[in-house]
Amino acid sequence: MTRFSGTLRFARALVAMNLRGSLALRGAFLLQAAFMVLNNLAFFSIWWLLFERFPEIGGWRLHDVLTLFGVVATGYGCSVVFAGGVGHLARAISEGDLDSALVQPKPVLLHVVAARTNASGWGDIATGVGMLWIAGALAPVQLGFTALAVASSGCVFTASGVIVQSLAFWVDGMETLARQIWEFTLTFSLYPRPLFSGELSFLLYTIVPAGFVGFLPAELVRAPSALLAAAALGSAIGWTLLALAVFRFGLRRYASGNRIGART
Amino acid sequence: MSRFRLGRAAPKYFALARASARRAWAERAVLAGRVVFLGVILFIFSRVWDTVLARGEVTVSGAGRAELIWYLAVTEICVLSVPLTFLAIEADVRSGDIASRLVRPVSYVGAMLAEALGETSLRLLVLGPAGALFAIGLAGGWPADPRGLAFAVPLGVLASLLAVLSTAAIGLSAFWIVDTSPVYWIWQKLAFVLGGLLLPLELYPDWLRAIARFSPFPAMVWGPGRMAFGYAPAAALETALELLVWSALAAAGLAWLSRRARLRLTVNGG
Repeated sequence: MTRFSGTLRFARALVAMNLRGSLALRGAFLLQAAFMVLNNLAFFSIWWLLFERFPEIGGWRLHDVLTLFGVVATGYGCSVVFAGGVGHLARAISEGDLDSALVQPKPVLLHVVAARTNASGWGDIATGVGMLWIAGALAPVQLGFTALAVASSGCVFTASGVIVQSLAFWVDGMETLARQIWEFTLTFSLYPRPLFSGELSFLLYTIVPAGFVGFLPAELVRAPSALLAAAALGSAIGWTLLALAVFRFGLRRYASGNRIGART
Repeated sequence: MSRFRLGRAAPKYFALARASARRAWAERAVLAGRVVFLGVILFIFSRVWDTVLARGEVTVSGAGRAELIWYLAVTEICVLSVPLTFLAIEADVRSGDIASRLVRPVSYVGAMLAEALGETSLRLLVLGPAGALFAIGLAGGWPADPRGLAFAVPLGVLASLLAVLSTAAIGLSAFWIVDTSPVYWIWQKLAFVLGGLLLPLELYPDWLRAIARFSPFPAMVWGPGRMAFGYAPAAALETALELLVWSALAAAGLAWLSRRARLRLTVNGG
C-alpha cells in the first residue's frame, strides 16, 4: 500500500512538472491549445454540415455525434497530456532508450509515458468539455457517468497505445505501424457506431478498440445505466491490466542501447 | 533569377526531387500506411453514403453512391499526396541548420520545393492507382461517366503544386513563431471544410459555399473531386485556371516570405 501511494505521488509530481514545463512557454502553450480547439471545431463542422442535410444517420443525430466527439476528445486529450510518452514508446524500445528509466526505483512504464506531455491536448480537453456541456452531459445528475465515460475512454486509448507500441519488443521497425493502428483507433472512434456492423464489430472491440474508446463510453453518456457503467469500468481496468502485462512481458526481451544518458 | 540561371539550376533541382522521391520510396512502411489510411477513410464514407442513400435521399444532382465514393477518392489522393514540408523547414530553422544550407549553390526554398514535389510525385503515383482500386472495390465500379476522371489527373497534379507552395510558406513562418504545426492544422482543416474534402460543396449551405469560393481551397480539393461527377471540360478548365492563379499568388507570397526570412536571419544570426 505504501509502495502504491508512493507511485501515485511520483505520478502526480511528474504531471505537475510537465504542466509547469508546458506553462513555461506560455505563448506557445496557449497557441497550441487554442489552435487545437479551432482544429477540432473545424473537423466537427463537417458533421454539422452532413447532419444539416441529412438529419439522421443510422439513428444517430447531431446531438449524439456531439456527445461521442466530446467523450473521445476529452479522453484523448487527457491521454496525450498525462501520458504523452505513449506515442514515443516504440521508438524508445527499438533504440534502447529505456535504460535510464530502468535504473529508477519507480515503474519503468510510468517513467516513459508520463515523462512527456502534449500541450495541444489541453485544446482537446477544452473542446471535449465544451461539447459535453452543450450536449447536456455535464448536468449534476449525469456528471458521474460522464466522468467515468471520459476516464474509461482515455484509459483504453492509452492502454491500447502501450500495447501496440510494446510490439516493438518483438518486432523491429514497429514505430510506423504502431502509430498507424493507434491513429485508426482514434479515427474509427469518432464515427457513429451504426456505420460499422457485422464482422467489423469484432475488429473494433479488439485490434482497433474504437468500440471501447468511443462507442461504449458515449453510449454510457447517452443512456446512463449501471450495466453500461460496469462495462466501461471493466473495459478500462481490463485494457490497463493487459497493457501492463504486455509491457512487462516485453521488457524481459529488452536490449539496452548502451547509451550514456541521465534523467533529471 | 534569369531564365539562363534557372536553366542552369534546373538539373540540380531535378536531382533533389529525384533523390527525395527515392527516399520516400525507401520508406515503404510509411507509404503503405498512407495507402491503408486512404482505404479506411474510403471504407468509412462508403458506409456513410450507404446509410444516407438507403433512405432515398437525393444528394448531388447527377451523383449517386459510386460518384460520391470516387469524389472522395480523388480529394483524399490530392490531400494525402502532399508531404509535411513545413516540418522540415521548421526543423532547419530551429536547429540553425538553415544557415549552412543557405550557402549551397541552390536556393533553400527552391530546394525544399523540389524535394517536396519529388515526394509528391511518388505519392501520387502510388496513391492514385491504390485509390482507384479502393474506389472500384467500394463503389462497385467506375462512375456513371468516367471520362471526367481523365481531367482529375492533371488537376490533381496542379492542386498538389498549390498545396506544396502553401505548406512551404507555413514552414517559413517558423522564423517568427516557435511551432508551425498549429498554423498547418488550421490550413489543413480549412482545406477540409472549405475545400469539401469529405462532402462535395453542393451539399453545403449557400452562404458557406459563397465564403468558400473566395478561398483557394475549392479549386484545390473540390475542383479535381467534382470531375468524378461527369464529363465537364468547361469546369475542368475553370478549375485549372483558378489553380494556376492561386499557385502564382502562393509563389509570390512564398518569395516575399523568403526575402523577409533571409533578412531576419541576417539580422539575428543563424
